[in-house]
Amino acid sequence: MSITNFEDRRVIVCCGSGGVGKTTISAGIALALANNGARVAVVTIDPARRLASALGLETLGDEPRQVDIGPTGTRGELWALQLDAKATFDRLVRRHAPSPEAEQRILDNRIYEHLSGAVAGSQEYMAVERLNELTDDPRFEVIVLDTPPAQNALDFLDAPTRITHFIEGKSLRMLLSPGAAAGHLGWKVLHAGSSTVFSILERVTGAQLLRDLSEFLAAFDGMYSGFSERAERVRALLHSPRAAFVVVSSADDEPVREAVMLVERLTHDHYPLGPAVMNRVRQRAECDPPPRDALIEAYADAGAVHPQDLADRTLAQLAEDDARARRDHDACARLARLLGDRAPLEVPDFADEPVEIAGLEHVADALAP
Amino acid sequence: MTSPALFDRRLIFVLGKGGVGKSVVAAALGTAWARAGQRVVIAEVANQHRLSDLFATRRVPRNTPTELATRLYGYSVDVDKATEEYLASHIRVRPLVDLLVRSRAFHNFAAAAPGLPELVTLGKVWELAVAVEDGRPVWDKVIVDCPATGHGIALLQTAGNVSELAAQGPVREQAHRIEEVVKHPGATGIAIVARPEELPVSEAIDAVATLRADNFPVAATIMNGMTPRRFWAEDASVLGRVESDDPAIDEAVRAALRSDHHARIEHEHLRELTVGTYTSPIVVPDLGPIVIGQSELSILADALDGTARTAHPAARP
Repeated sequence: MSITNFEDRRVIVCCGSGGVGKTTISAGIALALANNGARVAVVTIDPARRLASALGLETLGDEPRQVDIGPTGTRGELWALQLDAKATFDRLVRRHAPSPEAEQRILDNRIYEHLSGAVAGSQEYMAVERLNELTDDPRFEVIVLDTPPAQNALDFLDAPTRITHFIEGKSLRMLLSPGAAAGHLGWKVLHAGSSTVFSILERVTGAQLLRDLSEFLAAFDGMYSGFSERAERVRALLHSPRAAFVVVSSADDEPVREAVMLVERLTHDHYPLGPAVMNRVRQRAECDPPPRDALIEAYADAGAVHPQDLADRTLAQLAEDDARARRDHDACARLARLLGDRAPLEVPDFADEPVEIAGLEHVADALAP
Repeated sequence: MTSPALFDRRLIFVLGKGGVGKSVVAAALGTAWARAGQRVVIAEVANQHRLSDLFATRRVPRNTPTELATRLYGYSVDVDKATEEYLASHIRVRPLVDLLVRSRAFHNFAAAAPGLPELVTLGKVWELAVAVEDGRPVWDKVIVDCPATGHGIALLQTAGNVSELAAQGPVREQAHRIEEVVKHPGATGIAIVARPEELPVSEAIDAVATLRADNFPVAATIMNGMTPRRFWAEDASVLGRVESDDPAIDEAVRAALRSDHHARIEHEHLRELTVGTYTSPIVVPDLGPIVIGQSELSILADALDGTARTAHPAARP
């Protein structure tokens, strides 16, 4: 198994629970594919400082920038960008607003301000929107998408549905601005029902919040169909054989459990699965620990004041390292078993995060052995 | 000004990057306090279900406190049900509530309305913290196992945002009451959890700055999973001098040097957390490659016990 088996995919989505190193793996996948000749863009979300500098992203906003991956030859291209949810949302409004006045009304609306600036929800949705923009960009053959930290690792799959429900729910629009539905049949019935709902809501929220809300929804008028079309397009792409989901885990209990749940959910919802990746796998030492006496002697020769003590601490360290390496190995085996005997790609534990592109090459090598 | 220690607060929010061990820290804090005779409830939000794993009990049912250990309870917030309850308490006319709850428009709205799920969740937690029975608080401690940093901060800020968005009406009043409690340093303490790694630490530093700028009472920082140090500077110089052609000895020396290197990096991260947040982080040790259950929680509670009672964060600059 190699990640390069998936280079014909238009989009590769990396998901997994928090702290497993999704962003590093996303960058590693992108580099492996670029090394294999593809033109790849990786969308990172909140990369670590070192990883950002490895990708040359320190100064970068949310526009793709090409990363120097050395002599090209048979290599493709690696591009990287960092998701900026607010900027994506603003751009969306600017591009799709029916008039400059409508655009300004939306950008100035207080509900919009909170909606677009809120980390919760909008990041997931904007990752999907950004994906949509990038799939239209002929510069890239493959897009690797890191997923935002979320309460549930797959929140972002539901985000488009959730947020489009909110901003384009027809029933809600009628509820809040009955005038909009005036031309429709059955208006009287709807109006009677929704005005009751409206007045209940108003008692709870106060009139002004509802007014802001209905202004917000009115300002989005004319953009609704665009939103649902794009959400539908991304949904279709992510369900098609042109996508692949890579589930990333580390050897800890909870990430493994979450990885298995993710795979079950993805399978159940008919999303195309790529390989699973087990990150930071520690390797067992190639030889047995030395005899205690030999180690004491070596330490005494090196001038240790308490060679026995140092030897005992060293042996304890070796035993602990071995226990960790065995645990990691077991976790890989368990994940493989739970995934129906598909062995995950193993990325070894590198003592330090990659600082330069050269460091990321090790990750890429592990993903494309 | 020195804020009171974590132990003096009733409502404790445990916040940090995904994967740093918030649930374990929340459970260990709860264990420590329950042991000390306090009635403690740990609130899970957003379907985490971590408590039932940690305490090896059946799944904590939603919106009902469930006993996990002596004096220690778990609580899982169900947003849909809480929203319904919330409306019922404001509208008080049951048929109207039913009408609203049955309306699909309302459900779509409620699921995505900016801040509504967070406000309802926070409201539920607030209810636990202010609940009184026979003139005494029902809970001595309410520990909230928050979602990952960004979502966790959004949860805390939601009351303020809502009272800003809604100029009048019951929602605003309630949001305002909640905000008062959540920002009151005598009632509430936020514990920011990190691990000795780059991202969790920088995220913790940013979170502390954001929360302080917003006048939230940051009560403690917690460095979870510090590897107990096994080698020291004088060992490193001996290890550097070892000459051997035995691969087993080479490997042993490399393992010791690796461990020392790792410990130095962890220590550097601890220093960054200290300097970056103006706090003395409470250090919780790494217990090695094991599954955490109740007996491990009690070891971690030991580590938290002394410090969680007495640690005072350094004065703010």
